[in-house]
Amino acid sequence: MTEISSITDLFNMSKPESSDIRRLEGELKVLGLSSPNICFQCSKCTSGCEAMKLLELQPHSVMASTKAGFIQEIIDSEVIWTCVGCYKCKERCPQEVSPVEVMYVLKNWYVASGKPIPGDYQNMLQNMITNGFMQGTMEVLDTENRAHDRGSLGLPEIKGPKDTAKFAMILSRMAVERLGGE
Amino acid sequence: MTKKIGLYPGCVIPTEQYGYEMSIRKIMPELGVELVDVENISCCGAPFKSINLVMQTYLSARNMAIFEMEDLDIFAPCPQCHLSLTETKQRLESSGELREKIVSRLLEEEGLEYKGALKIYHTLDLLHDLVGIDVLKGKVNKPLGWNIACHYGCHTIRYTGADRPDSAEHPMKMESIITTLGGTTSDYSEKLNCCGGPLMTTHKDSALTKAGEKLKAVQERGFDALAIVCPLGGRVLDSKQERAAGMVGEKLDLPVFYLTQLVGLSMGMEPESLGLNLNKSPVSKLI
Ligand code: SF4
Ligand code: SF4
Repeated sequence: MTEISSITDLFNMSKPESSDIRRLEGELKVLGLSSPNICFQCSKCTSGCEAMKLLELQPHSVMASTKAGFIQEIIDSEVIWTCVGCYKCKERCPQEVSPVEVMYVLKNWYVASGKPIPGDYQNMLQNMITNGFMQGTMEVLDTENRAHDRGSLGLPEIKGPKDTAKFAMILSRMAVERLGGE
Repeated sequence: MTKKIGLYPGCVIPTEQYGYEMSIRKIMPELGVELVDVENISCCGAPFKSINLVMQTYLSARNMAIFEMEDLDIFAPCPQCHLSLTETKQRLESSGELREKIVSRLLEEEGLEYKGALKIYHTLDLLHDLVGIDVLKGKVNKPLGWNIACHYGCHTIRYTGADRPDSAEHPMKMESIITTLGGTTSDYSEKLNCCGGPLMTTHKDSALTKAGEKLKAVQERGFDALAIVCPLGGRVLDSKQERAAGMVGEKLDLPVFYLTQLVGLSMGMEPESLGLNLNKSPVSKLI
């Protein structure tokens, strides 16, 4: 049997969804971004992609599948989580398509569908909702192995959200907020 | 002339990259910039773009509203924060839908008012354009004398549409600051390469491998040190340099400095007052 890429496997298994692409275009428009439909597959994005060598991300392939309507397949694959967010693809795309932002939107859909969020995000979110920042202050060691915190370094206290309950409540509601544009 | 500006440190700088914050607080008043601390601030939302873009936009808008209500422009030394604030400002200008959702509904609940009239500075344009090369030059009394590679970091320069502090493909402001401080520098082909920092959230090994590759390239080109302006860069290139070295199987001993630490050193300030005893890379080779 001849070799077929995994993405072709996906194409064989599933049917494209045109409602997904319309919803995606609507959300991108709210952000002032163009539709992946105008991507002409030049691969310039992939040639500079910071996640290509190590993590095999190919933004032009992601755009091809997106254009073809295989959005659910892209969301279900792990590939969107390998993007470093370096914005080279957006900067260099001759069509002003933005693979990085398309992937941000699709990751948002993944999260909204209630699937488990990868990496440290859960923890960071918890910190942010409770204290306003994605992590708490850490103790660091100097060259003589003395431990320091903000106080011992003479740094002033950082004062986060005053009304933490209200802040947490507004953020919790974000789970159901969508970009809109439908 | 003194310029008053609100310091927005974000999450990473005030919780672990203390050397960046200490050097900022130390040098800016000497350069005619009065930093004002503001209460009630929070994360800018940038680390959560993958989770929810509405939340990111809301958080950035919320912080800007807080500074605006104090009549302050904003200084965000973290390029990720700077990008998030800038793009949020643009989104709210262009999208009535987001403006209605975020500004009118969510911010109002906290009694916050967002106008979108404030200026947003990063370390690079603050030093290069607001303070200016001439003022900087006048403050140098201990010229650095080292050959220093510049690392801008992704979000300092990309993407152009979001009004970055320097050019996306040919940034030169850091070089011009380094030479003003009495250092030398030159271009190198890996200059625009990412440090891997943002990948620490989901792919730690890859993040550290990328950092190791970047450091290795700079070291092999014979630079004495690397200058940075991003706390995510500091986290992997300086704080975790040893682990990055392990990932690429190299001996790395490249001193990594925040640009603001270099400014302070060139002004003759005490290394400890600039947090240099907290850098994990071997800066003591030079100072
Ligand atoms: S650079 Fe733009 S047009 Fe070219 S393949 Fe990538 S997204 Fe498509
Ligand atoms: S932003 Fe993501 S997809 Fe685009 S070039 Fe960088 S790593 Fe690749």
